[in-house]
Amino acid sequence: MKLRKSAIALLSVVLLAQTLSACGKKDSKGNSLADKPNKLTVGIKFDQPGLGLKAPDGTFKGFDVDVAKYIAKELGVKEGDITFKESKSAERENLIEKGEVDYIVATYSITDVRKEKVAFAGPYFVAHQDLLVKSSNTKITGPESLTGNMKLCSVKGSTPAQKIKDKYSKAVQLQEYGTYSDCVDALLSGAVDAVTTDDVILAGYAAQHPGDLKVIGKGFSDEHYGVGLKKTDTKGKTAINAAITKMIGDGSWEAALQKNVGPSGYKIPAKPAVTE
Amino acid sequence: MNQPASGSGPNGTPMISMNNVQKHFGALHVLKDIQFEVPAGQVVVVLGPSGSGKSTLCRVINRLEPIDSGEIRVDGKILPVEGKGLAMLRADVGMVFQSFNLFAHKSVLDNVALGPVKVRKMNKNAANDLAVGLLERVGIAEQKDKLPAQLSGGQQQRVAIARALAMKPKVMLFDEPTSALDPEMVQEVLDVMTSLAKEGMTMLCVTHEMGFARHAASRVVFMSDGEIVEDSTPDAFFKSPKSNRAKDFLSKILTH
Amino acid sequence: MNFDFLSNPDYDILGAFWVTVQLTLLAAAGSMIWGTILAAMRVSPVPLMRGFGTAYVNIFRNTPLTLILIAMSVVLSNKLGLVLASKSSPTFIKDNNFRLAVLGLVIYTSTFVCESIRSGINTVPAGQAEAARAIGLRFSQVLWIVILPQALRSVVAPLASVLIALTKNTTVASAIGVAEASLLMSTMVENESDALLGVFSIFALGFVVLTLPTGLLLGWVANKATVKR
Repeated sequence: MKLRKSAIALLSVVLLAQTLSACGKKDSKGNSLADKPNKLTVGIKFDQPGLGLKAPDGTFKGFDVDVAKYIAKELGVKEGDITFKESKSAERENLIEKGEVDYIVATYSITDVRKEKVAFAGPYFVAHQDLLVKSSNTKITGPESLTGNMKLCSVKGSTPAQKIKDKYSKAVQLQEYGTYSDCVDALLSGAVDAVTTDDVILAGYAAQHPGDLKVIGKGFSDEHYGVGLKKTDTKGKTAINAAITKMIGDGSWEAALQKNVGPSGYKIPAKPAVTE
Repeated sequence: MNQPASGSGPNGTPMISMNNVQKHFGALHVLKDIQFEVPAGQVVVVLGPSGSGKSTLCRVINRLEPIDSGEIRVDGKILPVEGKGLAMLRADVGMVFQSFNLFAHKSVLDNVALGPVKVRKMNKNAANDLAVGLLERVGIAEQKDKLPAQLSGGQQQRVAIARALAMKPKVMLFDEPTSALDPEMVQEVLDVMTSLAKEGMTMLCVTHEMGFARHAASRVVFMSDGEIVEDSTPDAFFKSPKSNRAKDFLSKILTH
Repeated sequence: MNFDFLSNPDYDILGAFWVTVQLTLLAAAGSMIWGTILAAMRVSPVPLMRGFGTAYVNIFRNTPLTLILIAMSVVLSNKLGLVLASKSSPTFIKDNNFRLAVLGLVIYTSTFVCESIRSGINTVPAGQAEAARAIGLRFSQVLWIVILPQALRSVVAPLASVLIALTKNTTVASAIGVAEASLLMSTMVENESDALLGVFSIFALGFVVLTLPTGLLLGWVANKATVKR
């Protein structure tokens, strides 16, 4: 009897907590990002040098972070009122739909499939799939030069490597790891010959190992990075587009890129046109 | 059958000899300076109250328990410390336990044939023939394909004796072989032991079976508190025990 | 729930699970052998072997499997040059990773097999070993002929748990790019973010289909194998 009572008590507590959290979650539900929010939760990557990286001291660095901060500033939110939340690739749409983040700046390519679920502002950057190789490597000049005895590395569950196999070199051997850092280690030790993903990500790693690694610089696909937000927030999208345009126009965009990925020798690409 | 109460057997070398053997279990001094011989062909029964060290006396002879100091010889050879030498010596010393200890996962036949095949390197068929012969001798050949758990205690103990005999041992050690048995099964085991004794097997039996001690033993050794207190013929021991401890022990047993 | 991805020819779900099954069976066989040898070491009278067995089990049982597998690939293979396939083979990476994964899983899982068997050895009454020694069997014979056969029968159930855990642990092999079920799942999660629930359900179901019969079968074997005393 006693057991049943406590079980019921426990159940009610759980239910109550859920109701409360449901209430508390979005007092701003339906509100637009354009309506002067007090605080922001922004989704970024935590593990990509040069773009979105959580430093050991808890600070965040990278181009995506700078873009996120610039947009927040334009929306009227102070830097101290931004909470950064890790948004892994597979979780991004969910985080936006559930309202757990206000917007996402995380190497988030604009695609039609994704647009069915979320809205994009931007693009704020156009990346190209590229190859990272050892600086001394002269054999690999582009995706076509990958041959059967060469080894290409990418992270598991990612599409770039598959794209190379499908389009350029059927024979190349594919090594997949959980993180790009493992790929870069394998590249440095000579276990693989090249690492592939977007050039700006690769540039981040090249910047960590100046002199040892280089990005080939022969981009072979366009990835339009956008800022993801709620599908219904048209006003918010306009506001973010305005912020991005301003950032590109006032030189902050180039400065941010220069600061974060410039040291790798990565050539700052042309400024993107905001088209969303 | 009755031989001198102590001293050498016919060929001069005692089958078992213990010299100044000391053994402790922690603080407990279980064997106190044991000086003891079993000549070939003798049947020695070891009696004593529980905790007197008689079981340990039996178990140190094939080194199931190591001793602290002293010397043990079996058929003139010093007991090896470990390894192959010890294994070969154990093969020559048959042992029967209180709790039978038949290999639970093997058939009765395999229990008996295992040693000859694995230790004596006998071929499988010969070992099986030998095993069947021994099982017939102890009266349970028809059970040879059963598992030990399917047999009664008395039957299991007889298999255990056959298992020990299969090694053609020079001496047999019995460590309270009937203590775990239901009363009605004691006799069938004692009968096997008596017939072995009659055939001239050298035996050291730790037991509480006074009848067996009286009729089959050539010598009775009485232990108490880790010491051998008396060592005499069965007649002398049962009719006129010398020590008070033996008198006390006998009075307790024989009044029941 | 959306299951459209099932008709996509890019996703060889059965093939991925077949790799999972291969990883499981090979690693199970290796772990069983190496785990038994480790258990024998841990109960052996030789202090050096006992010490090795104890140290091995304590080190590898307490190291995360992910770390072991990544170390197999990144340290052992990439840096120290341990190669388990022909370097010139066109499928070098695939073969090498698969074999490294099996080796890593054996290194890890054998510690659990060892400890299960050791607990089984403790359930065999001491008298069994005494009787075996008394007829002149040497230590190794006592162990292999008398003790282990009885110990193994009493640990079928715990070994079944180890096997089920191993089946699921094979997913960690995706960390070094072995194309088993969970690697395909990562790819599908990336590409089919609108059908996440469906993707997860299919893979969860796949693992249940693999492990449930294992548990039932070995449970039945455990009952049959018990040594009667």
